[in-house]
Amino acid sequence: MIFTLLQVIFFLEALIFLTTVFMNLVHMNTSLISLYRTQSFVICTFIFASLIVAPSGLLAIVGILIFGVKVIVTPYFFTKLINTYHTKSTSSTYLNVPTTLLVITGLTSLAHSHYFQSLTTLVKENPDGLLLSLATIFISIFLLINRKGVLSQMIGILSLENAIVSFAFLSGLEASPNIQIGLIFDLLVWIIIVYIFAGMIHEKFGTLDSTVMNNLKEE
Amino acid sequence: MALLIIFGIILMSILLSLLVKKRSEPLGWISNMASIIELMATLFVFNQVFKNGVYKLNSYFSVDYFGIIIMLIVAVIGLATSWYSSGYLKIEMARGFIGYRRVKQFFILLHLFILAMFFAIATTNPILMWISVEATTLSTAFLISFYGKPSAIEAAWKYLIINSLGLLIGFLGTLLFFHPAIGNLPNELLTWGWMTANVSKFDPSITKLAFIFVLVGYGTKVGLVPMHTWLPDAHSKAPVPISSLLSGVLLNIAFLAVLRFKVITDLVVGATYSQRLLIFFGLISILVPSFIIFTQKNYKRILAYSSVEHMGVVALGFGFGGVGVFAAILHMLYHSLAKSILFLSSGNIFLKYGSTKIKNVSGVLKILPGTGILFFVGFLAITGIPPFGIFLTEFSIMAAGIKTYFWIVVVAVLALVLIFVGFFRHLVSMMFGDPDREISLGEVNKNALASIILLAVILLILSIYLPNNLKSIITLASMPY
Repeated sequence: MIFTLLQVIFFLEALIFLTTVFMNLVHMNTSLISLYRTQSFVICTFIFASLIVAPSGLLAIVGILIFGVKVIVTPYFFTKLINTYHTKSTSSTYLNVPTTLLVITGLTSLAHSHYFQSLTTLVKENPDGLLLSLATIFISIFLLINRKGVLSQMIGILSLENAIVSFAFLSGLEASPNIQIGLIFDLLVWIIIVYIFAGMIHEKFGTLDSTVMNNLKEE
Repeated sequence: MALLIIFGIILMSILLSLLVKKRSEPLGWISNMASIIELMATLFVFNQVFKNGVYKLNSYFSVDYFGIIIMLIVAVIGLATSWYSSGYLKIEMARGFIGYRRVKQFFILLHLFILAMFFAIATTNPILMWISVEATTLSTAFLISFYGKPSAIEAAWKYLIINSLGLLIGFLGTLLFFHPAIGNLPNELLTWGWMTANVSKFDPSITKLAFIFVLVGYGTKVGLVPMHTWLPDAHSKAPVPISSLLSGVLLNIAFLAVLRFKVITDLVVGATYSQRLLIFFGLISILVPSFIIFTQKNYKRILAYSSVEHMGVVALGFGFGGVGVFAAILHMLYHSLAKSILFLSSGNIFLKYGSTKIKNVSGVLKILPGTGILFFVGFLAITGIPPFGIFLTEFSIMAAGIKTYFWIVVVAVLALVLIFVGFFRHLVSMMFGDPDREISLGEVNKNALASIILLAVILLILSIYLPNNLKSIITLASMPY
């Protein structure tokens, strides 16, 4: 039974990893949002799964809140952003696809290198899952750096947050439910603020491509 | 109770500001009154900490020796900033650059920003501290883009994204510091005290990794090189009262977070590990601005790069240890005062000349004699010219490291000399000569000058005479490092 549960958890973690990899490769903003929604859904599955093991009213509320914010509200905001500013198509990257894949391979190898082996002591039953979630953290940071679009940068941050949540879940380091409510509130405020900023950027620069923002270079 | 008063008064001032209609003056009065009460309550907490070693509201909110020093900085700079803002925004409104709604938005966000800072200092839970530091990012993003210019929005976006990334890395580090609790998480929130009491259960390798994540994460907010790239843009684009708080106060709070984790790390793996990391980041944070300041074209960016440099000096102080730690804490205090004097004076210069470009500003001593003198005083203080305290703190920090890290001290001192020369070069072109166009003589606003004079007087007094109770508190605050 335990063996099966571990396999399911590893499968879900691999799913989060794959969504992050694909986030680096897709060209449509709509695909990016779908991948984020899938990734967030898996995170919620983690939380609801832990509810089965240890039922808790507060944790159920946290799960519902996370589901609401990450799976419903955030994709809604982003879809609205795409429709309002007609930015369905590409969010281009600094590196081409082969180089991007090479970097992703490198980052995955780094997460599995001896530098981070000590982390596997946190969870002896599922060390590969934990290192995969660490690789997801690195790849999310890369997504943020490599993408030129404002929307991609926003999703990069949110994907990083998801990766950290999955890391915390796998290692048993997740914060208490009270704190998680605080964190999800913080995330919601963050999403609203970046949404407003995206509007301001479009108003001033006429696009959501961050490369056109070069006013500071003249300073 | 005093902490509750502080939190309560800020919340009340937000509510009152929301109720104000059409007139901007009451917003300033509310802010000034709140700041005065905050300062009084902080002085009460200071007294309690001096007497009892700690001021405790409950298990999750208390102020220790280090906390009260940073809290005092928030309260003093907060008051000066609030006072200055009333005059500054009045002029901006009169010129038609901003409307009433903007002023209201400014004061509400300012209160939120200050509340988040007090909260970050007082909480004993590392994740609540993280949430508070993140809240400072969220509350200030709109303040940085206050003028709505493309460059301001760009700076705010950069600030938002880079700091969010940094803080998430810091969050990962924070979570890793909880690893001894895996499997038996207590019901109550984990505090700094819990960590200290459980150091024997920490895994040294994980602690080392966690500290790197924390240092890089919160170091982004501190503005340590190479994570500093958002800082010159954000600090130069924000309205000057906010730049003053960002540079003078917020950097110290992020540093406080790093130092709280340093104590735990030192107990687990020994002090050398964190000290070497701080020396590395400290040195490059002094070196990079020393070359950049020389070629800057914007005087607010010079001040921002100077903040990067001073955070580097503080990092070196904690890295060298010994007397360097006492000097580093004192340096935080002096830097906050001097940097606020400089930023607020630069606000007066901006109001008069309408530009932050150095080439558009000359003859400040003639046009704005009061502001010119204060800016000059700020320059002398920030570059470590005696009798100002920064001379003593920089000297003590370098003295603390000269025996063990001779070449690092030599490079740091050379960089500091380079910064002095670069800054002085720009200062001379701004202060002397004649303006290239007709500019009316005289100060822009009494409030805008009086608050800077208050800071200058405090800085001068503290440079010459450090009260015994403050000295004892700094000594005790430096003990764990």
